[in-house]
Amino acid sequence: MGATSNASPAPLNSALSSFPSLKALKFTTKQQELLIRVSALALIYVLAFVVRLFSVLRYESMIHEFDPYFNYRTTLFLTKNGFSEFWNWFDSESWYPLGRIIGGTLYPGLMVTAALIHRILHFFSFAVHIREVCVLTAPFFASNTTLVAYFFGKEIWDSGAGLVAAALIAICPGYISRSVAGSYDNEGVAIFALLLTFYLFVKAVNTGSLAWSLASAFGYFYMVSAWGGYVFIINLVPLYVLVLLVTGRYSMRLYVAYNCMYVVGMLLAMQIRFVGFQHVQSGEHMAAMGVFFLLQVFYFLDWVKYILNDIKLFHSFLRITLTCAITVGVLALSIGTASGYISPWTGRFYSLLDPTYAKDHIPIIASVSEHQPTAWSSFMFDFHILLFLFPAGLYFCFKRLSDATIFVVMYGLTSMYFAGVMVRLILVAAPAMCLVSSIAVSATVKNLSSLVRAKSKSPQGSGKPLSGSKAAAKASADQSLPFQKNGAIALLLGALYLLCRYAIHCTWVTSEAYSSPSIVLAARGHGGGRVIFDDYREAYYWLRQNTPPDAKVMSWWDYGYQITAMGNRTVIVDNNTWNNTHIATVGRAMSSYEHEAYEIMLSLDVNYVLVVFGGVTGYSSDDINKFLWMVRIGGGVFPVIKEPDYLVNGEFRVDKGAAPKMLNCLMYKLCYYRFGEMTTEYGKPPGYDRVRGVEIGNKDIKLEYLEEAFTTSNWIVRIYKVKPPKNRW
Amino acid sequence: MAKGTNDAQLLVQSLRKAYAATPTSLKIIDLYVVYAVATALIQVAYMAMVGSFPFNSFLSGVLSCVGTAVLAVCLRIQVNKDNKEFKDLPPERAFADFVLCNLVLHLVIMNFLG
Repeated sequence: MGATSNASPAPLNSALSSFPSLKALKFTTKQQELLIRVSALALIYVLAFVVRLFSVLRYESMIHEFDPYFNYRTTLFLTKNGFSEFWNWFDSESWYPLGRIIGGTLYPGLMVTAALIHRILHFFSFAVHIREVCVLTAPFFASNTTLVAYFFGKEIWDSGAGLVAAALIAICPGYISRSVAGSYDNEGVAIFALLLTFYLFVKAVNTGSLAWSLASAFGYFYMVSAWGGYVFIINLVPLYVLVLLVTGRYSMRLYVAYNCMYVVGMLLAMQIRFVGFQHVQSGEHMAAMGVFFLLQVFYFLDWVKYILNDIKLFHSFLRITLTCAITVGVLALSIGTASGYISPWTGRFYSLLDPTYAKDHIPIIASVSEHQPTAWSSFMFDFHILLFLFPAGLYFCFKRLSDATIFVVMYGLTSMYFAGVMVRLILVAAPAMCLVSSIAVSATVKNLSSLVRAKSKSPQGSGKPLSGSKAAAKASADQSLPFQKNGAIALLLGALYLLCRYAIHCTWVTSEAYSSPSIVLAARGHGGGRVIFDDYREAYYWLRQNTPPDAKVMSWWDYGYQITAMGNRTVIVDNNTWNNTHIATVGRAMSSYEHEAYEIMLSLDVNYVLVVFGGVTGYSSDDINKFLWMVRIGGGVFPVIKEPDYLVNGEFRVDKGAAPKMLNCLMYKLCYYRFGEMTTEYGKPPGYDRVRGVEIGNKDIKLEYLEEAFTTSNWIVRIYKVKPPKNRW
Repeated sequence: MAKGTNDAQLLVQSLRKAYAATPTSLKIIDLYVVYAVATALIQVAYMAMVGSFPFNSFLSGVLSCVGTAVLAVCLRIQVNKDNKEFKDLPPERAFADFVLCNLVLHLVIMNFLG
């Protein structure tokens, strides 16, 4: 290519010497194509970053939601105290009085990545605060994901499909929902690691090189360090190997790729303390080990068959080996499972296989809104045209089956199944949808544009005399071409229209639904102007500045991370939810009468209680709406709390007709204290709860063991101080 | 019964004859694999006798043997002239990959030994 590029501009230059600038830059077609590809990729890279910046521009550069606050606090600790302190950190400021071994119970990938970026920026004298780095980590890695998607698309189909895949995943709402600026959560980095691992593995299978397999092992290590969803990789890859073995598409390259990735990847993964020995002890990882041993047996038999040219002898050898291998395998598996050494599937992952399991057995998992099964509207909302491009892409994949397309098809189908079981897992399905859809788009557009560019055959006037049928056939061939060309142009315009609508939909969805920080609420005031409710931060900063440093705060577990990160106070339970009994104790306290709850609070050394109440503003994610989950979780451990006590005819009410236990429990009293005198809406009686839409039942609330410490300006967060016990005579 | 033992004898003989035809370099790699697997089995037997504490040391020992055996088999596959898929791969590159992967494997093992 270098020779031709040197040859072509020279004569052109001499010929067109009178036309400088643009003509002199005449590139060859290959160079033009490269230029277009590189500039398209650069634009996609920037687009993926910029589309995620809505909330930074509308509000400010802050961390969203709940979990990211924990990640931020740990990253802050890491940058201040170094890796060794971080890796061995025992935190006594949460889960009082138990504490939490943070070093051994988190996935460090995200924090280490952000701290590394921070250090590199400081090395180049960009003195940015770690919070800015944390806020923008997810969009940065989303941009990197588009690059990986391009290379992956190039690997499975061609570079056109790669470009389309990069463009689709840059704005796909399913991915944006968890990687918007400010959403400093594991998934932002984990999806990049997931796609990278898959790409490197497919590359290893395609080339059979040990180096690529080693790279995929490192990709797997990064994924294990970043997110608990690595279990998907360690089960999908063995399943893929099994499918290849069964369909007879196995080759030596598969052996090299899988073995190196499994052994080195497993060893690297065990370096993360949170994962520990799960790769050899947990039921979720046994598929990989089983396939590993199966591969050894399979390829050993294959080699013996090759060196022994006699079929009969080989059959007898086969019989012996197979019986030995199967007996040993079944024996090991049954002893392991029966003795309990191989632990069964944990509740978190078992509820993916049996969606009804969590509701009956583990209320904490069932209560999280992200774990609910997905509705069709969510699919349409998060995927738009990808929903019907996915089956079209599957068709193209099956038309041109190769090792790589089989992998992408399996990834797509399994991830779609799991996305249907749990809303949160739409995120894992998003890259698969984009890849498979890109094949459909690229192949269709290629076919259509080749039809458009095909030159129509000119009728040969002075040719040899043709027979009648031949002339008729030729005439009909000539006739079908112009309609074909028009049809192709129409279809191309249709495809362009669809892709434009996709882009518009994605931008609208990002702007409306996925860019709210959750910690700052916005609404439209009477005059149409925007009203901001910053109550959460107001309350946390009040805690930080007005309470003694060793004060302990009791609240529902949703707010734990935020209280420790922003309020800098010890909490009783937080979002980690690792101890169900402790959470049930808090739930029991919230749903008991005040004197019973006081006993529990004294036993836990609680100084302040924090509740969230939306009755004044109409904010519906408050503690009264979550109250039944507190009752269920508390009742799951302490049978003295019975859910029917709080319901009237199975209905949850807070007005005059509510159950007496409901009207006098601690949560009710703390939320509605002094609310009975407040007028919230014009024309409604005082004490009208705007969320439940009723006038509350018990307006005259007196607190005996607590006193009100602080209520935010819109009554969203209310803090109460626990009075010390009375002196005994 | 006699036919069974006859069959087995015939099997072993033809296996031995076929194996003798393989080149010496591949036989050296096979010897290395057998040595690694034997070491792993010895370690498992020792663990069965004295118990598995500390587990990370046991795992790192066994996995280093298994890992290096598997990598040697991969090297054998890539170097074997009968494999059509790898005929473009120079054996030096295969050996360099083998050395690199072993290096990474043993570095991780040393971190994991505890």
